[in-house]
Amino acid sequence: MDLTLFGLTDIVVSLKATNLANFFAVLISFSFVMVLFLVPKYKLSKSFYALLALLTASLFLIVYAADYLLFFIGWEVMSITTYFLLSFTLSKEALNKYIIFAMASALSLFIAILMLYSTNHSFLYTDAKESFSAMSPVMGIVFTGLMLLAIFIKLGTIGFHYWLVDAYEESQNLFTPFLSGVVSKMGVYALIIFVVNITQPAYVLAVMGVMTSIIATFKAIQEDSAKRLLAYSSIAQLGYIVTVLGVADGMGGALYHSLIHTAVKLLLFINVAGIIYVTGRSKFSELGGLIYRMPQSFVLLLIGIIVLAGMPPLGGFASKFMIYTSLLDAKYLLILSAVMFSSASAFLYVYKLIYGIYLGHPTNKKLESVKEVPLSFLIPQYILSVILIVIGTFPALVVPYFNRIMEESNLKSITFDNTATLVSSYAQYNGLVVMGAFAVVFALVLLFFVSQRSKVKEAKDRFDIAYCGEEPNEATHLHYGFGMGKELKRVGFIAVILKNSSSHFYDFLAKQVMALSELIRKIYTGKLSVNFNIAIIFVIILFWWSLK
Amino acid sequence: MIVVDLLLMLVVAYAVGFLYYGLYRNITARFQRRFGPPVWQSFIDSIKFFFKEESTSHGWMFYLGPVIMMSGAIMTLFFIPFFTVGDTFQGLSQYGNAFVILYLLVLGPLGNALGVGTGGSPFGAMGITRGLTRLFAMELPFYIAVIAIMSLSGSADIATIASEQTTFNAFAYPLLFIAAMISFIGMMGQSPFDVPGAPVEVYSGPASEFSGKFLALLMSQSAIFTFAKLVLMVHLFLGGASGFLELLLKTFILFIVVIAFGAIYGRFKTPQAVDFLLKVPTTIAVVGLILATWS
Repeated sequence: MDLTLFGLTDIVVSLKATNLANFFAVLISFSFVMVLFLVPKYKLSKSFYALLALLTASLFLIVYAADYLLFFIGWEVMSITTYFLLSFTLSKEALNKYIIFAMASALSLFIAILMLYSTNHSFLYTDAKESFSAMSPVMGIVFTGLMLLAIFIKLGTIGFHYWLVDAYEESQNLFTPFLSGVVSKMGVYALIIFVVNITQPAYVLAVMGVMTSIIATFKAIQEDSAKRLLAYSSIAQLGYIVTVLGVADGMGGALYHSLIHTAVKLLLFINVAGIIYVTGRSKFSELGGLIYRMPQSFVLLLIGIIVLAGMPPLGGFASKFMIYTSLLDAKYLLILSAVMFSSASAFLYVYKLIYGIYLGHPTNKKLESVKEVPLSFLIPQYILSVILIVIGTFPALVVPYFNRIMEESNLKSITFDNTATLVSSYAQYNGLVVMGAFAVVFALVLLFFVSQRSKVKEAKDRFDIAYCGEEPNEATHLHYGFGMGKELKRVGFIAVILKNSSSHFYDFLAKQVMALSELIRKIYTGKLSVNFNIAIIFVIILFWWSLK
Repeated sequence: MIVVDLLLMLVVAYAVGFLYYGLYRNITARFQRRFGPPVWQSFIDSIKFFFKEESTSHGWMFYLGPVIMMSGAIMTLFFIPFFTVGDTFQGLSQYGNAFVILYLLVLGPLGNALGVGTGGSPFGAMGITRGLTRLFAMELPFYIAVIAIMSLSGSADIATIASEQTTFNAFAYPLLFIAAMISFIGMMGQSPFDVPGAPVEVYSGPASEFSGKFLALLMSQSAIFTFAKLVLMVHLFLGGASGFLELLLKTFILFIVVIAFGAIYGRFKTPQAVDFLLKVPTTIAVVGLILATWS
């Protein structure tokens, strides 16, 4: 379609349903449906839902755009509608942080696409590579930097995540799953089209991604609030995707992990939303011991954390396997070690999540009388866990769809043997055998164990425990462990990560900006006479300039 | 056929595991100028625990904890072939790879951690916290070594890695081996990295709430798991084995080295252990990886 805009007659914008766009559109629509299940339990204003619908529409515009102009419009509408959706619950400070970062992201994206346009007079993705190669090296670096800045802010890559955690924590519980599940995926989408259509700054992505995942994982371990923990976990998981997009054949792993991460974050945030709905609390230090009161929620969260930790045989391992093997193929060995390190550290926060909420002891009398969460919360979680279990058992089930995307982008397709077996040049992984063997072994061990003659007596109450000869009572502090990970502050290397925060940098930046505006205020006092003088000086300078 | 194979693997691991555990208690006793119990004492103890009249449970998740732990140990065993040649004692190794095994190694302990958390004993939770805090630091040098070995052998398949070694990886890449060994001492639950179950500080940690047949199951899984880990290490660094004699010899030498370290060192505090593991063996492993894969 042609667009006549301010006399620019040569601007062509277009929409295109590529396989990649379809994949992300499926994620968006699916997540939207999952979130809709929660609507009956939240009495929110009409404008909230209208904005949610507008946000979803803008996401569709982003993924179906085939040029950077429409993409930018979608990006901007997404940022603004998210702002209004957040404004229902966010504190002023968190909201300001969000909008400043969102605008910085939009602005740098805008400058970048104008740079792209200025070289070749086209916004189309198909011309982007040509325009990029026509740039001078310095321009190319500036362009890449601006583009990555825009994307990294949306992804919450470390250093640019300052807005994200507060926004996730304070956002409406109905909206957080959507925010983490799909809105953050737009960053992934933008990165993928950037990598496929323009250039792949390999080492930058790999190093940024891996630093993000390690630092965010350790930050997550420290958190006391379930939503903040999951927000940091979200940053870390997207870090894996950024890392794997830094290698040549990494797109398969990135797409696979996007799928898994969307599903698992919807599951976990909906679960936590349910907990907050019935108890009104979200801090581990105020929860605990809910397992036998909410067994269904417990099992669903358990499935979620198994996936999040990347344990076989559920879906999380399949995507981790793809990420690991593509890093191994590319010989990024130290990066791979660091990714696996971060993945192993994640065991700590996933255990903290389930322990803090469901295990241990209730920290409050009220927690002993709560009931299971309503069906509105359970249904989406059941759907998501079935999906994650099926993907785990048949990890190659979704691969043909990914391969269509790979084909369209001229990338090496993902190899697989049958629906249950993923194959890489290093090894193969058969999800069905792992799942089946685990099920059989578990069943047999359980059978053997139950058939033992020895009787099992249930403990009288929760205080009937080994406690060094003492008898604990209501007053004894027994919910130990919600603060796990605090000890890491004593480890030099990790303390460095934990003590430093990007907020120091941004505080510094804010101070400098304040000082600068103080300075300007001295000249620009607001008095009409002064303004008039400034204007005259300006005109004289211009006049002198034009004479030269 | 495969069922018989798997059952035989299980029986062998169970018997050898308990034998090694008995020898461990004896050898450690000699280090401390004692005689130690008879070799089969641990085995007899575990059988005795199975026949205890009564044991206390704290609900179904607590009940399932040790069962998951046992399943995890057996799964690990099944995905590690005993021999590099032949068709017997191969288990399910052709369907898995080193990544699967690295994850299966922590599957059991994490499953049990849920049971421990449900048990409600603060000492259990303390033990789990200490274990998890140590876990990632302990895994890192091991991961780096395994990744380097995988890259060098061009395969993530354990049997291929084992059979491709003309000189043992332990001698070809000594730095990687040393780093992996330090981690391995921790993975075997030996001093100075035995922080989770430290009896003096945290009342035996994760095991503190388990009694009777729960404890029996935990003891049995420990025997199987120990043997599985030893076999894995032999495959990665000592060229695997082609017969039982070779396998037992290599695993036993490795075992002696590990318990000798365990007997002579005292226990680190948790942050000390993490600090040490992130500094010393990790540096060794990174240097080893760079030296081994340079060019």
